[in-house]
Amino acid sequence: MVGMWRNYLTVGTRALAKSRTYAFITIIGLAIGMAAFLMIMLFVRHELSYDEWLDDRGDIYQVQTWYSTKGLGEGAFLQMTSYPALQALAKDFPQVEKQVFLVPSTPVLIGEGEPQLLRDFHYVDANLLDVLPLPLVAGDRRALDTVGNALITQSEARRHFGTEDVVGRTMTQISKGRTYDFRIAGVLKDLPSNTHLRISGVARLDFPSFFNNEDHFFRCWSCQEGWAYAKLRPGTDPAVIEAALPDWERRNIPEEQAGEARFNAGDEQDWHLVPVREVHLGKAQGGAMAAGNDRGTVATFGIVAVLILAMAVINFVNLATAHAGQRAREVALRKVLGGSRKQLIVQFLGEAILLTLGACIVALAMVELLLPTLAGFLAADLHLRYFGPGGIALPALLLVLVVGIGGGLYPAFVMARFRPAAVLKANKSGPATPGSERLRSLLVVGQFAVSIGLIICTAVIYGQTLYARTADPGFKRDQILQVDGLNRYQLMFAGNEIVRRVRQVPGVEAVGRTTIGLGSEGYSDGSVVVPGKPGLVDVGMYSVDEGLLDAMGLRLLAGRWVDADDPMDDMTLGYPASEEAQRALARRGANVVINERAAQRMGFPTPEAAIGKQVRGSIVEARFGLVPLTIVGVVADSRLRSMRLPIDALMLRKTEMGHRHLIVRYSGDPEKVRDGVERVWEQMTREVPFSAEFSEDILSELYRADDARARIFALFSLLAIIVACLGLFGLAAFTAERRTREIGIRKVLGARTPDIFRMLTWQFSRPVILANLLAWPVAWWVMQDWLGGFDSRIALGPAPFLAAGLIAFLVAILTIGAHAVRVARANPIHALRYE
Amino acid sequence: MLSMRGVSRIYRTEAVETRALDDISLDVAEGEFVAVMGPSGCGKSTLLNIVGLLDAPSSGSYLFDGVEVTGLAEARLTELRKRNIGFIFQSFNLVDELSVRDNIELALLYHDVPAAERRRRVEEVMDKVGIAHRADHRPGQLSGGQQQRVAVARALVASPRLILADEPTGNLDTSNGEEVMRMLRTLNEEGATIIMVTHSPGHADFAGRVVNMLDGRILQQRLRAA
Repeated sequence: MVGMWRNYLTVGTRALAKSRTYAFITIIGLAIGMAAFLMIMLFVRHELSYDEWLDDRGDIYQVQTWYSTKGLGEGAFLQMTSYPALQALAKDFPQVEKQVFLVPSTPVLIGEGEPQLLRDFHYVDANLLDVLPLPLVAGDRRALDTVGNALITQSEARRHFGTEDVVGRTMTQISKGRTYDFRIAGVLKDLPSNTHLRISGVARLDFPSFFNNEDHFFRCWSCQEGWAYAKLRPGTDPAVIEAALPDWERRNIPEEQAGEARFNAGDEQDWHLVPVREVHLGKAQGGAMAAGNDRGTVATFGIVAVLILAMAVINFVNLATAHAGQRAREVALRKVLGGSRKQLIVQFLGEAILLTLGACIVALAMVELLLPTLAGFLAADLHLRYFGPGGIALPALLLVLVVGIGGGLYPAFVMARFRPAAVLKANKSGPATPGSERLRSLLVVGQFAVSIGLIICTAVIYGQTLYARTADPGFKRDQILQVDGLNRYQLMFAGNEIVRRVRQVPGVEAVGRTTIGLGSEGYSDGSVVVPGKPGLVDVGMYSVDEGLLDAMGLRLLAGRWVDADDPMDDMTLGYPASEEAQRALARRGANVVINERAAQRMGFPTPEAAIGKQVRGSIVEARFGLVPLTIVGVVADSRLRSMRLPIDALMLRKTEMGHRHLIVRYSGDPEKVRDGVERVWEQMTREVPFSAEFSEDILSELYRADDARARIFALFSLLAIIVACLGLFGLAAFTAERRTREIGIRKVLGARTPDIFRMLTWQFSRPVILANLLAWPVAWWVMQDWLGGFDSRIALGPAPFLAAGLIAFLVAILTIGAHAVRVARANPIHALRYE
Repeated sequence: MLSMRGVSRIYRTEAVETRALDDISLDVAEGEFVAVMGPSGCGKSTLLNIVGLLDAPSSGSYLFDGVEVTGLAEARLTELRKRNIGFIFQSFNLVDELSVRDNIELALLYHDVPAAERRRRVEEVMDKVGIAHRADHRPGQLSGGQQQRVAVARALVASPRLILADEPTGNLDTSNGEEVMRMLRTLNEEGATIIMVTHSPGHADFAGRVVNMLDGRILQQRLRAA
């Protein structure tokens, strides 16, 4: 047995060494396919592994709020929910063992140095670790039982204190204008990258005192103020709770009346318990702590991985069967000597597996080199580990077996079929297996169809990404500096002064304030009653100031912008909003500006038709009634968020305070302007760190995921084309060799070099042309579906299809062409002499 | 040893039917040395392939060692061939990737012979044919005569009862050809049954019986004087 295997190994390796081109093409083709497959599978595995590391993950659920399509035109699916919803769940469902509400905060940390913003810091109303059992490296798991205790992560501890040994220290924060001294009672292990959670620290608060000026936090079912998690008792069937939720909504959500308008938060929203492991790839991606992903994307990558691997295996099969004839004599001989068909199949399968093993080693080297780049594109923490949990050694070995057997089986059967009698007389090489030429052509068609499909997808994705960046957003998007944090308590009454000072910074052309900025993720929605229109119209309600029109470069279509000097334009209610102010506003009414979409939604046929019309809106608390609102201006729709999201219908009201963003339009050197604005900021406060971004950077971040996706597709298209070309080259080389005699005869009979060139290239161009017929409908269907996920999209015209087909054709011609020219120019005497 | 009755072999394609063997009847006794002669295309090699269980007759009966082999499954034929028949080809048909020693050993690998025994037998047969001094060379490094000696060694190493030689001297010069024929005669004297296809009347004289063929039929058989 050992001797036989040694014999197989000796013959196999020497046969490969003899056909170096074939060996190189086969191994490299397989290596590329396996490398692409392994890399994508690492990514897919990473995506599917989110929150797997949490203990008890089977019983932990996130409470999500899903809006139906009634409200904003499209459904909105949020990972956040309202505080009353969580309280009512815990009250009515004894299956809820523990629950916790996390309120996001970006408090300012006051310490020895400059004040720092604490991003991803949360305030909780219960012991977070009872629900989400995050690992601690130091301190007490019961720490958050006590109000005033905090936990921070290792890296946050190092960042702010220079050490992880911080248990017992005090962390002073300012939030909502109040100073809190939290006792650090524990250090959390840094969370792994595969989690939907983004937590740099948590602090236990007494919510009633924290929100004492914000009563709506405890009553408003439509105010998704944070993230809610519930741990169910072991053995609970969540489906039972889900089924009971509609009745629960009816029981718990109060009807609200504002004037003649009736509201019930349950009309548009539903609540769902989603297992924590399904949050990352789940339906709800709005209000996520960390950018999630969707199953479709992960599945697409998985399919691409399988396709590229399949292409590499096809190459292997094609080349192996084409070269089978070279081993025909050996096969015949082995049969003569007593080898059975089964033994021959085992021999050639063994060779295939060995070849695949060699290719796998090369593939792993490629993965080592390329994985960091891919991880960067995908913003995923991908590592290559060979052994231990998540180790790749065993899966790689399995891949070798699957690919080796899958690719090697057919050629092994082909070779084992050679009949000795036909081959051994006069030392012939094997005859072509009937139908094998057809099969090879079909396989080439398949490979190029995949490549063409990928090229089309890449072109469309790039086209859409470019469109997203360059399409008219409805306002002047360039040369804006957006500053955050204007709504901090420390700056609540300083807005006007900040605007005045920033206007004087050299280079600043216009300054405005708003609660909806570039790339905003939050929503602030309300309802209006429009005379003559039944029901309520939902619009986004945001605060602006008189400077925003110029600062943002908005386009006025009808009427006017808000005026600083017109008291009816002012809707400032103060902080906190007093009952008197709210009542007064509801009595007198105010002027508002809306956008085109809001005008359409309200039923106005043109922007001009909306001017001077009065509607009534839920601006103040429902008990004070609806506020009469007169439309004084209509602006063009502006795309402030991602192109994946619909343009908001906006109602803009002028206020003196409460704006989150300062919008600064500038010209000249952006860094000088930024420095100037920062200096103004620091003059106004030392307690709120300056946080500003240029509009170009916000846009980049907005489309980062789409950009990355486009680049990934381009990379894999390139790999697919390389694999297809390697196969084509190998086949062309082999076929040209086989046809040497025929070419010699043709040349003797008068064929010229171009005639031979055309004959050889046409043989392989035909499958490539056919491949288009296969690829185009599939690519069209897939891209139509993908483009459907964008609110605004490019039209799917013929250009990407024709371009892809042409590229594939040219690449094929180039691949075969050089070889064809060499063969076509050879002297026919050499070809005929060996006969 | 073998007995054929009414054996025919017809090759059919879409347009053409070729009768390579037509109603052949032939008996070969154990220990005989039979030469088969005839012009190109008369069916000599086809006959040899059928005798060697490499091909099956289209009709007729073929008894090998008293066993009717027509209609037997390929696995059974392989087994019979492995145990009883050795082949020597005109074009040697050595495996280019293997050394002389490995080429000869290949025949034993299919016989489940232990490694030590294999080595012993290979060395013995290399000495017998006079190729031991080239044991580690590859076929490409040998002359035609040397390659054919390796092929003879390979055919012998499994101690077959029947040796089939298809124009074994066809690619050799006179002196090498003579040497190969002397080896075959020695083997026959040692008890091996040999059926040899040849074009050469001189080489046919080494045989005890000459079978002449034409157009797929046996024209005549003549015994040579001892």
